[in-house]
Amino acid sequence: MKKAWKWLESLIAVLLLLTLMPQKASAADDASASKATDHYLKKVKDKGEIVMGTSPDFPPYEFVQNINGKSKIVGMDVEVGHKIAHDLGVKLVVKTMDFDSLLVALETGKIDMVISGMTATPKRAQSVDFSDAYYRSGQALLIRKADKDKYHDYRSLNGKTIGAQTGSLQANLIKEQAKKAKLKTMDKTTDLVLALKTNKFDAVAVDTATSAAFAKNTDGIIAIPSGFKITSDGSAVAFHKGATSLVKAANKSIAAIKKQDLINQVYLPKAGKYLAGGKSKKEAKVSNSMWAYKDFFIAGVGYTLFISAISVVFGFLLGAILALMRLSHNQVAHTVATAYIEFVRGTPLMVQLLFIYFGLGLIINIPAMLSGIIAVSLNSAAYVAEVIRSGINSIAVGQTEASRSLGLSRFATMRYVIMPQAMKNIWPALGNEFVSLIKESSIVSVIGVKDLIYQSRIVQADTYRGVMPLVITMILYFIITFGLSSLMKVFERKMNHD
Amino acid sequence: MTKKEPVIKVEHLKKLFGNNEVLKDINAEVKDGQVICLVGPSGAGKSTFLRCLNMLDQPTSGKVLFENQDLTSLKEDQLDQLREKMGMVFQQFNLFPHMNIIENIKLAPMKVKNQSDEEAAANAAELLRQVGLEDKAEAFPASLSGGQQQRVAIARALAMDPEVMLFDEPTSALDPEMVGEVLKVMQDLAQRGMTMVVVTHEMGFAKSVADEIWFMADGYIQEKTSPQEFFTQPKTKRAQDFLAKVLEA
Repeated sequence: MKKAWKWLESLIAVLLLLTLMPQKASAADDASASKATDHYLKKVKDKGEIVMGTSPDFPPYEFVQNINGKSKIVGMDVEVGHKIAHDLGVKLVVKTMDFDSLLVALETGKIDMVISGMTATPKRAQSVDFSDAYYRSGQALLIRKADKDKYHDYRSLNGKTIGAQTGSLQANLIKEQAKKAKLKTMDKTTDLVLALKTNKFDAVAVDTATSAAFAKNTDGIIAIPSGFKITSDGSAVAFHKGATSLVKAANKSIAAIKKQDLINQVYLPKAGKYLAGGKSKKEAKVSNSMWAYKDFFIAGVGYTLFISAISVVFGFLLGAILALMRLSHNQVAHTVATAYIEFVRGTPLMVQLLFIYFGLGLIINIPAMLSGIIAVSLNSAAYVAEVIRSGINSIAVGQTEASRSLGLSRFATMRYVIMPQAMKNIWPALGNEFVSLIKESSIVSVIGVKDLIYQSRIVQADTYRGVMPLVITMILYFIITFGLSSLMKVFERKMNHD
Repeated sequence: MTKKEPVIKVEHLKKLFGNNEVLKDINAEVKDGQVICLVGPSGAGKSTFLRCLNMLDQPTSGKVLFENQDLTSLKEDQLDQLREKMGMVFQQFNLFPHMNIIENIKLAPMKVKNQSDEEAAANAAELLRQVGLEDKAEAFPASLSGGQQQRVAIARALAMDPEVMLFDEPTSALDPEMVGEVLKVMQDLAQRGMTMVVVTHEMGFAKSVADEIWFMADGYIQEKTSPQEFFTQPKTKRAQDFLAKVLEA
């Protein structure tokens, strides 16, 4: 009895320790913050660079521009970032990811600050520290030109659908004030506008700067005042909780920006020039405007192929090992493999990816691309393992008996007799798995890996064209997967010659 | 006839499949150069007994001594070394369908005995000649008749130069016109002094080739006699009934 109690006690102690660990870290941050001698500023200076996270689908705040064939993140927020970096005497590194992932990336140390048109709401301020606001913008609604006379502000949209970016200030405003309208959220502003154009939504809520950019560059879309009552604190730079030294440094830069009215005088006009420049070039060659973005698609295909190829190889090797473990007589190996396969098949790849990138990021910093490859490989291995296992089971037991009776070991039997036959049987199923791996690798775009999906998003944002980039992406994926399945068929025919 | 010490010795062998006691208490010896034919009604445990000799089926209890080593106590890698000395031929041939005939025969000598490709190929060609299939070296198993496949299976087992050959109903899956060619090969083998244990329903073969007939029924070896005696004066009632049925047909 006493022994059991003691055991329980130590278990509770371990659990407590585990739950306390993150808090302990932040408690330490708070303590050092009070003295304003936290290590964040020093770390940035030691690195010689400050990493800014942003979601570049939000012109004129941040967007991607094709400059001399190279994609570049530009916009007002990037200028703010440059100013802060310049004042600190370090280099600015821009890292892109979904808006939703930005705060997690900040929390897990993937980035040093978030500048992404992010409003300093009290709720967000609970998990991050904000600088002073550098820009205060009004809120607007985008609607179709045809509805010009029907809608005047959010109040005339009762029972209608309003779109907003997931996790954004606008989404909250709709929830709180436009209670009679239906709120639909999406990750990308470009998707929202596309949904508006294709009549999925009746309006899209964005801030005035963004609305002006879209209204100017998208046919059939106009901006109207939103009518929202706003008590917002404006857009601010977000830092890790307790990074007071960085907040102070940023506030100095922001004060300078405000004093010289840099945003209205310099940054916004510059962003506008980028937007206009892109537009006029596009107008110059309307017929082949997608062709102008070929480098984006080529780079995307490259990344997708690279991630897929490595993942196919490692997924297959690991899958083969798991299959053998599951078939082995060793109870431990069998249990481990079975548990792994069931767990990985039973959880979404998206969650696995975010867990590896952000969750493990707390312990060891894995770059986005590597995280993507690991997640896709580990995921594929579980499926491949089951395919291989079914292949091995499909071989008559007499084959094993004949081989073993000749003196071949268990391993040699597997290697020379069972596997070659099993591979032939499972080849079509393996091809299936590889094709779906290529398609599922698109999930890595969520954490900012520049694969084909990611690039098509950028082209969408950049060209204000929603459908064409999707069509091209679809065709490119099809070419890749069809190429692979044709290759698999060539090998299949070769095996059948035997 | 050279009858020396036993090559295989079986002591109190017992085998259960679940609760089903297939072999109850088997005691037997196979001497060097002997040809044993195991006969008996189906379900008697003949095949199970044969498979217990090279541990394809693990005995539940009892001992199987091969060259004075107890196989039931050996680890797997030691077992592999002894299995190569016991060739086995199966009812369903079990050729490897993804390899051609010569590859089927070369595989074990090359992978287990580390023979060179040339050496293994030369041996394989000689063995194929012995079983009358030298022209089929490059063919794949699927293109061969059952009788031809079984002769290849025998050649494949012989390629390991075994001391004992185990035959598990080698002609039962064959069309009647092909039984003869396989029995002929086995007969040649017996004449050359190979120690053989054959589970068979071919009474003619048993009569003419076997040195000893073991009659199995109900999980026991009921009779161990010469073919002469077994076919003319079976002692047990079980054997008399069995012979009456078999010879009638």
